[in-house]
Amino acid sequence: MADTPETVPLPAPEERERLTRIQIDRSCRQTVVWYYASAVFWLLVGSALALIASLKMHTPGFLADWEWLTFGRARPAHLAAMIYGWGSMAGVGTLLWLQARLTRNRLPFPTLLPATAVIWNLTVAFGVVAILAGYSTSIEWIEIPPSTAILFGFCIAAIIAASIRMFRSRESKHTYVSQWYLFGAIFWFPLLYVSAQLFLHTPAAKGAVKAAANWWFAHNVLGLWFTPIGLATVYYLIPKVIGRPVHSYHLSLLGFWSLAIFYNWAGTHHLIGGPLPAWLITVGIVGSVMMFVPVVTVAVNHHLTMVGHFHHLKYSPTLRFIVYGAMCYTAVSFQGSLQSLRSVNEISHFTHYTIAHAHLGVYAFFTMVMFGAIYYVAPRLLNAEWHSAAWIRVHFWTTAVGMAIYWLGLTWAGWEQGKMMNDPRIPFLDIVRFTVPWLWSRSAAGVLMTIGHLSFAWLFWNMLRQRGAYLPGPTLLIRKDEPVAVGGGE
Amino acid sequence: MAAFYLALWGLAGLLGASAIAALVWAIRRGEFDQLREASQSIFDDEEPVGKVTDRFPDKRF
Repeated sequence: MADTPETVPLPAPEERERLTRIQIDRSCRQTVVWYYASAVFWLLVGSALALIASLKMHTPGFLADWEWLTFGRARPAHLAAMIYGWGSMAGVGTLLWLQARLTRNRLPFPTLLPATAVIWNLTVAFGVVAILAGYSTSIEWIEIPPSTAILFGFCIAAIIAASIRMFRSRESKHTYVSQWYLFGAIFWFPLLYVSAQLFLHTPAAKGAVKAAANWWFAHNVLGLWFTPIGLATVYYLIPKVIGRPVHSYHLSLLGFWSLAIFYNWAGTHHLIGGPLPAWLITVGIVGSVMMFVPVVTVAVNHHLTMVGHFHHLKYSPTLRFIVYGAMCYTAVSFQGSLQSLRSVNEISHFTHYTIAHAHLGVYAFFTMVMFGAIYYVAPRLLNAEWHSAAWIRVHFWTTAVGMAIYWLGLTWAGWEQGKMMNDPRIPFLDIVRFTVPWLWSRSAAGVLMTIGHLSFAWLFWNMLRQRGAYLPGPTLLIRKDEPVAVGGGE
Repeated sequence: MAAFYLALWGLAGLLGASAIAALVWAIRRGEFDQLREASQSIFDDEEPVGKVTDRFPDKRF
């Protein structure tokens, strides 16, 4: 809006802007499509493993005589496939595309970056198979054998180099709030990952201190890797989709810097009641409660940006997923801060309540935001429209409703379970029996979510084959009177 | 053991310090002087404020 008028109007500024954007999006095509396609593949693998693990919780005989799929292996394999396969790969794809858009620069390293996607895939594949074969490190969130660290490290180094290169030669005068979040993710994650590998796999870390390092890392993967990528996406796509700047840019910056300063202290709240110095845990609780500041700023800001524009939810696939995700970010963060209080935690700890909370974060917030991002980005990379609104509808409702059932069932069951476990008069087996119906509800929710993932994979497969209407420009807006080429001709 | 906790919190402190260093750098560079312009930097003449950029054509989805 504040652009200075050009003296030579050839080509027209709008046309120039459009061509620049097409070039930026094209430069991302190979890399980001590789990352996205791999992410969708891992989403399906992770869903299958999730269903196996979930069914075993109420039907222990299911696949019980094959050691590769015992609960102790299927569950961490599910986590690794989802975190390092689906979440991280969808996240890196979005992160690279966003940075190209934000810096108005082409994505560099057209050979190296797609190669990192291949290496990343091989690493995750090796990790998941190793876990299933019994070689898990048995340290939660970092079960993949440490020998893979160097490969992940190589990929992340390439991604950092690309980020710095784009930022240094940026065309945009301003550093948008999403860029701050993305820098947070890209610079903090490697530090976390390297220090966790050192702390967890060297003789220096033993016993209870290992747990402290473990949860400092695990919580920060969520808070300083997935959360910043998710919020960067929300801060870019809500304004972009509805065509309205963020309600308060001041608040958005306050939100980022308060997250940057508080989040990384929160991890030790996972160890309340554990054999660790009380001050260590109290620091974690203080950090968790301070998170109210960034969360409230983000929630207020997103809501006020959306006010008056909620009707777009009816028409925009991206917006629907993103707004669902943003709302769940608020919910999961409030819940998390409260859960870190000792009085709440003594009930919720070691129950299904925590599992519901974790999925509200990684699934209802991050995964839904990534779905929204892919719905926006993929058509612009592949010049094709999504081929079916009906399948998107199936995807949205199965995942949204599935997640709601998942969360409600396990939150309720977990809370009751926690209260019962605190009562020494109740036999343990009675508590287990009490949870069984709710574990079934989790499996039902998992089936729904998997149906959603299958429809998403079907949509994405057809996107790769460019089965949808051909998009001449980089936007999704096809006017009704415009001739539209349909079909999957090569 | 105490040394280990110190190392862990040292790292946590390092993360916080990196955030504060970035904040100081950004303030010095004047990143926060033109917030209105910054908030509009994701729009351009072809996708200006007011233009909806994602929806399914002619379909309530």
